[in-house]
Amino acid sequence: MKPKVAIFSLTSCEGCSLAILELEDRLLDILGAVEIVNFREGMTPRSWDIDLGFVDGAVSTPEDEKELLTIREHCKVLVAIGACACLGGINTLKNPQGKDSYAPYVYGDQAKWFPTTDAKPISAVVDVDYQLPGCPMVKEEFLRFVQCILAGRTFRLPETAVCVECKKNGNLCLYEKGVVCLGPITRAGCEAICPTYGSKCEACRGIVSEDALKAANINLQEQYDVSLEDVLADLRLFGAHQDTTLP
Amino acid sequence: MLDRVVTQSGLLELIEELGHTHQLIGPVARPVPECDPPVRHFYQRVKHAGQLDLSFSYCTYSPKEFLFPPSETLFNFEKVDGRFTATPVLDEQRRALVGVHPCDVHAIELLDHVFAKDHADEHYAARRSHTFIIAIDCPTPCTSGVFCADMKTNTATQGYDVMLYPLATGDGANGNGQTRYGAVFGTEAGREWLYYNRRFTSPSAEDERSFKAYPQTKAAAFTRELNTTVDKLPALLDRSYDSLLWEATARRCYSCGSCNLVCPTCYCFDMHDHNELSETCGQRRREWDGCQLPEFAVVAGDHNFRPKAAQRLRHRTYRKAKWVKEQSGLAGCVGCARCDRACTAKISSVEVYNQLAEEA
Repeated sequence: MKPKVAIFSLTSCEGCSLAILELEDRLLDILGAVEIVNFREGMTPRSWDIDLGFVDGAVSTPEDEKELLTIREHCKVLVAIGACACLGGINTLKNPQGKDSYAPYVYGDQAKWFPTTDAKPISAVVDVDYQLPGCPMVKEEFLRFVQCILAGRTFRLPETAVCVECKKNGNLCLYEKGVVCLGPITRAGCEAICPTYGSKCEACRGIVSEDALKAANINLQEQYDVSLEDVLADLRLFGAHQDTTLP
Repeated sequence: MLDRVVTQSGLLELIEELGHTHQLIGPVARPVPECDPPVRHFYQRVKHAGQLDLSFSYCTYSPKEFLFPPSETLFNFEKVDGRFTATPVLDEQRRALVGVHPCDVHAIELLDHVFAKDHADEHYAARRSHTFIIAIDCPTPCTSGVFCADMKTNTATQGYDVMLYPLATGDGANGNGQTRYGAVFGTEAGREWLYYNRRFTSPSAEDERSFKAYPQTKAAAFTRELNTTVDKLPALLDRSYDSLLWEATARRCYSCGSCNLVCPTCYCFDMHDHNELSETCGQRRREWDGCQLPEFAVVAGDHNFRPKAAQRLRHRTYRKAKWVKEQSGLAGCVGCARCDRACTAKISSVEVYNQLAEEA
């Protein structure tokens, strides 16, 4: 029997769900191997008996939290997809401003009708079996993950920094142009898409290791004339780092 | 002694002709307005010789990727009637690698040695045997911070098909003010190229004079960066295993592997199978790996025998300045300083050697 797959969306742009639909030429292969029973972005729900559940989006409302608990209950394996589900994503930008500030700013005098909480990754609410990070998630990595699960092989995220893929692409390091890029501390797997097209890495796939973050704390102060505030602001963009200090 | 000479324009015409039978790869200038100087050079494929900038300083990456690509398919596999069959993938494209500096010539010699040893690597050998190498000597250091003269790799007498020496710019009668290149062959294929082309001519007495003076002028142009000698590095490292320098330097290391990935002599790789969704066919691929990456030394059972950045930095230094030399007799580090430039933590190999020398 084909494994039953579901794809859910919490607070997000649902771009990671769309990334699955963007696998266009592989979709028929995927549908040959699994049965999709629940996919908000693609179909009417069919069943709540789920082997493999994917969730994109952060937990940002009491409703998200309730829905996520139900999802967890019905999924044998639960996978967070994208920066929002894995790290909280750009939704977390509201957190440091305080609820009393952001709720009226967004909803005005109707704020009381729109209950909202600080945004958090889904792992803050339920146990998560796997994470496929990135903004959006990398669809090739999603495919590799599905292949591993179907074949019973171990799936592992790359434990290397974005620099590896950037160098393999033959790019000129952005540091040579005087740009402080977060590539050295960010988990690879995106094929260094941002630096390859000239933008600095903003750590949407999360921090690769605590050791790399420690090195950043030393280097950016000692070797570069960069204010720590700027680095922390960059690290907060996708929720890669919530603290106000570096280790 | 010089074999032949050629003018800059004659050389470019010859390379253009070579392009009829070979893929042309050589230094190309890319404008980078944010940088000083506002240009960087990269080895890349060109359609025409005119796109090459033979007076380039250095290339950000070495030409290694054209012999040993960052990622390559070794074979395709397929399950037919319950049995797996594998079909090897060999790249037999003829390539001309133009403008290889002596440091990279030495690095390619090491790759040749490594991939030929024990079970010869047919994938590397296929590319290598179809590659024609036109090296260009450096009369002066390509940029500051390089330590090729210290590593004795700023000149090369083998490892190329042809070596070109930029001689003093001729006067009006002697090549219309362009650079003249003195040429020496290193292989039979190189000899044929030099002698079966009329644009290469016999050196004049003046050419021979400038070539005779060339080594001395060159030696004077290369300053020393290393406060010891390359021959003393292995013994120095023998005494430095427990040095505090490894920990003190590695606290800055991101373990991003950039030093490995830009290094012309790094040859480590990892292999993965890439299956199709059906699992009945796929490819085995290999990709560059690097000893500075945190998981490089993870073995079965998930044990990592070099879990700390300091251990990895020490390992790399020993490889570059001691073990490779002792095993192969060839240079493990060619002093190109690409690792130093690539390190965003500004950890410098030559500085590590110097600090160890100071400690000892």
